[in-house]
Amino acid sequence: DGVAVLPAPQNLSMQSTNMKHVLTWSPVIVPEEIIRYSVEYQGEYESLYTSHIWIPSSWCSPTQRPECDITEDITATVSYSLRVRATLGSLTSAWSTLKHRFNQNSTILTPPGMEITMDGFHLLIKLEDLGPHFEFFVFYWRREPGAKEHVKVVRPGVLPVYLETVEPGAAYCVKARTFVKAIGRHSAFSRTECVKVQGEALPL
Amino acid sequence: QEFQFGPCQVDGIVLQKLWQAFWAMKDIVQAQDNITSVRLLRKEVLQNVSETESCHLLHALLRFYVNTVFKNYHDKAVEFGILKSFSTLANNFFVIVSKLQASQEKMFSTRESARRRFLLFYRAFKQLDREAAVTKAFGEMDILLRWMEKFNQL
Amino acid sequence: HITEDTSDLLQHVKFQSSNFENILTWDGKLESAPDTVYSVQYKTYGEGEWLEKEGCQRITRKSCNLTVETSNLTELYYARVTAIDGAGRSATKMTNRFSPLQDTNIKPPDVTCIPKVRSIQMNVHPPYTVIRARNGHQLTLENIFQDLRYHFNLRINHTYQMHFERKQRKFEFFGLTPDTEFHGTVMICIPNLFKESAPYECQVKTLPDRTWT
Repeated sequence: DGVAVLPAPQNLSMQSTNMKHVLTWSPVIVPEEIIRYSVEYQGEYESLYTSHIWIPSSWCSPTQRPECDITEDITATVSYSLRVRATLGSLTSAWSTLKHRFNQNSTILTPPGMEITMDGFHLLIKLEDLGPHFEFFVFYWRREPGAKEHVKVVRPGVLPVYLETVEPGAAYCVKARTFVKAIGRHSAFSRTECVKVQGEALPL
Repeated sequence: QEFQFGPCQVDGIVLQKLWQAFWAMKDIVQAQDNITSVRLLRKEVLQNVSETESCHLLHALLRFYVNTVFKNYHDKAVEFGILKSFSTLANNFFVIVSKLQASQEKMFSTRESARRRFLLFYRAFKQLDREAAVTKAFGEMDILLRWMEKFNQL
Repeated sequence: HITEDTSDLLQHVKFQSSNFENILTWDGKLESAPDTVYSVQYKTYGEGEWLEKEGCQRITRKSCNLTVETSNLTELYYARVTAIDGAGRSATKMTNRFSPLQDTNIKPPDVTCIPKVRSIQMNVHPPYTVIRARNGHQLTLENIFQDLRYHFNLRINHTYQMHFERKQRKFEFFGLTPDTEFHGTVMICIPNLFKESAPYECQVKTLPDRTWT
């Protein structure tokens, strides 16, 4: 193959948003050859008690792309070590290890995407599904002075979900945020969305 | 999820993940334990544990699991191809032990009764051949998870 | 001394459990001779003794009801079957460790869906199990699982759904359009055990609004 030694992957980096964790690195280039990569991980337990043992990642041992979704491998809120190496036929590079250990509690939580609609006098909300880690707290109120704020835990689904039966002529506002039990953190609130209900306001 | 073991609070543990990890290997692991006449985590160890006692007891049990059971079962986990489930449980137990460590040190009242319960478990463990004991203890993690569930603040 | 392989006499010895009705089942040889008989024993995990199940000794059927013998929900159990064929060959096989609490399947609830003009009421009938309290009283799933909840769901054609989680067995969906078809489901959920029943389903139509006719 004309390649005596295979260079180790460089520039390892972790991107974690909404509990989806992706490890990336600079590709190893050998003209007209297909390079494969293997990713392995160690949790804090392994680092302390069985440091010689590394666990192959679920989806990238091997892979041809210079990135790896390790979300399913991170199953505890501890710091993880991650390493990658390249292979070409029988040639394997040295391991490159992520400089800083990764802990899922550093994930970036974005405000949830939401869509507010009406069906007759039913106020509905559709939320983007972010996966099993997430709970959605939806806050809604009638837009008038002193109105009470209601909170509902909503499960995202294929269809919009009913929030409240509303009154004609009134206006209602909604905002939402996510919560992740595994790391005990909330996202920021989404933008507040308000809707005006058709029809005449009911006489008092 | 949040657990309250008397004065000791533990959060950031998703019990369903631990159950799923155990269920993925339950039959393989428990099939290796053919001593059906011995149960390490017997009723006398885990039943009627007071709230304050529970923190000490869980700390002692989980520390034993992390330092002894997991450590000695690791090669079997590689052999049976259950390293991923093993890692999930080991790392989460490691988190719980670390979180219990600080608060249980400040409590003295129920330490002795919790220690007696742990010794019941430990003596039964020591009476078995080492490998059989580690295999049995590893296979009884569902009993431990079931007990921990009671302290889950839903 | 050559020991004969008799594993073909007996396979898949396991518990099949729904709402704590625990049935031991197994398979015999494909063309098992009619004179093959089976005997069942059971034990509590941690106890020394295997106990013979009365009524399941030297039987020819391939199932045995062990509900009463495995009714303590805090215990774990084993059962084993011994098969003996006409030629005197025998085989014994044991179940995996059985946890009634963990391994039982939750049956769908029994529900009555009652359509009205602008609402639909759903009444869940008490989910009785075969387990009895010390006083002989038949226990429901609610007695056994403190964290049990009912998930009431109503889908309005294919545009949206209404979803409510309640401890109570009765729920009414309000604010509906008269004379309209809805698809309702009710599931039993036990969060702590991560268990869910299959859904009970009802297709129901609200009554026409005759107030102005």
